[in-house]
Amino acid sequence: MLRLAWSNLMHRKIRSVLSVLGVAIAVTMLLVLVGLSQGTLNEVSRRMESVDAEILVRDKHFDLGSIAGGKLWEKEIPRIKAIQIDGQPAVRQVIPVFLGRIKLGGLSQNVFGIAPENFSVFAGSRKLLAGRVFTDVPQPDVENITNEPLELILDDRLSRATGLKVGDNMSYADQAAMIAGVVETGVAGRVFAPINRLRGVNGVAAQTAHMFFVKVRPGLTTDQMQILCERIEMATQRQASLVAQYGQVLAENFRNLTIFVTTVSIIALVICFLFILVTMYTIVLERGREIAILQSLGAPRAMILRQTLQESLLICSVGAIVGMMLAEAVRRMIEHWQPLMTVEMRAEWLLMAGFIGIMGGVAGALYPGWMALRHDPVEILSYE
Amino acid sequence: MNKKEEFRIQNSEARRDIILRAEKLCKTFRNGALETQVLFDLDLQIERGEFVAIMGPSGCGKSTLMHILGLMLSPTAGRVVLDGQNAGQLSDSRRARLRREKIGFVFQRFNLLGTVNAYQNLAIAERVRGNKLDGQITTALEAVDMVDRARHKPGQLSIGQQQRIAIARAICHRPALLLADEPTGNLDSGNTRKILDLFTRIHNEYGLTIVMITHSPTVARAANRIIHMADGRITDAPAESAEHV
Repeated sequence: MLRLAWSNLMHRKIRSVLSVLGVAIAVTMLLVLVGLSQGTLNEVSRRMESVDAEILVRDKHFDLGSIAGGKLWEKEIPRIKAIQIDGQPAVRQVIPVFLGRIKLGGLSQNVFGIAPENFSVFAGSRKLLAGRVFTDVPQPDVENITNEPLELILDDRLSRATGLKVGDNMSYADQAAMIAGVVETGVAGRVFAPINRLRGVNGVAAQTAHMFFVKVRPGLTTDQMQILCERIEMATQRQASLVAQYGQVLAENFRNLTIFVTTVSIIALVICFLFILVTMYTIVLERGREIAILQSLGAPRAMILRQTLQESLLICSVGAIVGMMLAEAVRRMIEHWQPLMTVEMRAEWLLMAGFIGIMGGVAGALYPGWMALRHDPVEILSYE
Repeated sequence: MNKKEEFRIQNSEARRDIILRAEKLCKTFRNGALETQVLFDLDLQIERGEFVAIMGPSGCGKSTLMHILGLMLSPTAGRVVLDGQNAGQLSDSRRARLRREKIGFVFQRFNLLGTVNAYQNLAIAERVRGNKLDGQITTALEAVDMVDRARHKPGQLSIGQQQRIAIARAICHRPALLLADEPTGNLDSGNTRKILDLFTRIHNEYGLTIVMITHSPTVARAANRIIHMADGRITDAPAESAEHV
């Protein structure tokens, strides 16, 4: 019977190919959309979690996407350092980060302004592939040294995407800038700059920061770190969260994006389902005679229904596989033309897309299958 | 009918080996308020191994009778007993099962599956019947002398060849009863002769019970017994309006 389903599909090749493409495009759309949105969030999240610190402090109104909103002040650092857990100082180091913005590689990038001596906290095990760590100026001298170019460190991915190498000159906010070093991909920021120079170039007050990374006393458990977060929040009226849970923070900040992606995915699925329904309905209408012949041979109802389902499942299975291949092709194209964008293709998403495609096929074939069962074989065989 | 009478009939049928019995068959088609009665209290008995032609003019109810005998249509009144089983008491699925196990159909328009080849037409029919695919398909193709056309699709065969494939499909599972509805209605005289010879041969060689519907006296003469029909009833004499080949 599978051969009959296959022969029927081969008999109308163009329609079958179009049906397969319809399913494939829906699956591709689903995978690329989810892969792009989740891939970007996960990539940013993984980079932030690579920082050798345990707690992230930021203002409640600070928006990670636009880096707008409330700022922190370095004068808050002593209050954080004074917090104790079990009668001992809980905080080893507080690292302020000032964020700037620069457009590189066709995308707006966050520039992580940090003190040179803290670069190792952000680099972790990743090596400086070329150049050196930038130098900074002591805070009082910022406004006096404006003719020196702002030194930047790029990550390798951005360096390759933009073609910028160590020693290359560029501009940042109408100020001269140069590439001082290139670090392995995977560090928190794609661009690093000396914090005091970055504040100066952006014309903001000294001591201003957007985030504090807190390194805690060795040996603190996760529960103790949660308690520490609560105490930091009480002491500073800021928001403190574990760096390891940055993914959740990011997901909360980009909840609208998740809603958008889910909505578009559901619409894609509904279109896919309707497409299969219409296709199978047309097939059943066209196959009235064939179904009547099977009925005249004594085919049970389940077999007639199975026949319709088999054709639908063949279309949807091939469509799902083609969709996965198309999604992989689109992923490669995006990463070729937009090397800074990340499209993730997880095995579970592929399985889910395949499952959804096949379930759509089953659901889309049920009504036409039921219609097929209602055919009067005598009428069709007598008068068609 | 009381049990005693039923027993008497079954006993009598066992002695005479009746394979198909129709009793007081009536069929009325309803289309809204319009009612058209096609069959009127029709009684019929076919013995195992008979080759019977049911002959009558167009519109006399032959095809309706065949669809009822083939369990594809339910009578409005009366009953059909096939190989000892009262079809009227069976569910749709049991009737479909009885049809696929006991009956082979040959249609005027062949009704082959157009997207698969001749062999696959037989193979799919056997799958529907739940039979394993062994040598019986080749045997059936040999019986209709179509082995060399087994890989051809219906569209690549002549109409005579298509009908032979349809016959092979109908006899492949050695049914208890072969029903043929105007099997030569679409054929020229040469192919008609070949198909009738084929029916005669498979009837003689396999002892198959054949019930053939036709409006043609020439075709009907191929059978061992001719039952005449007119206006939805069995008649003793040929209807005057019967057409000729």
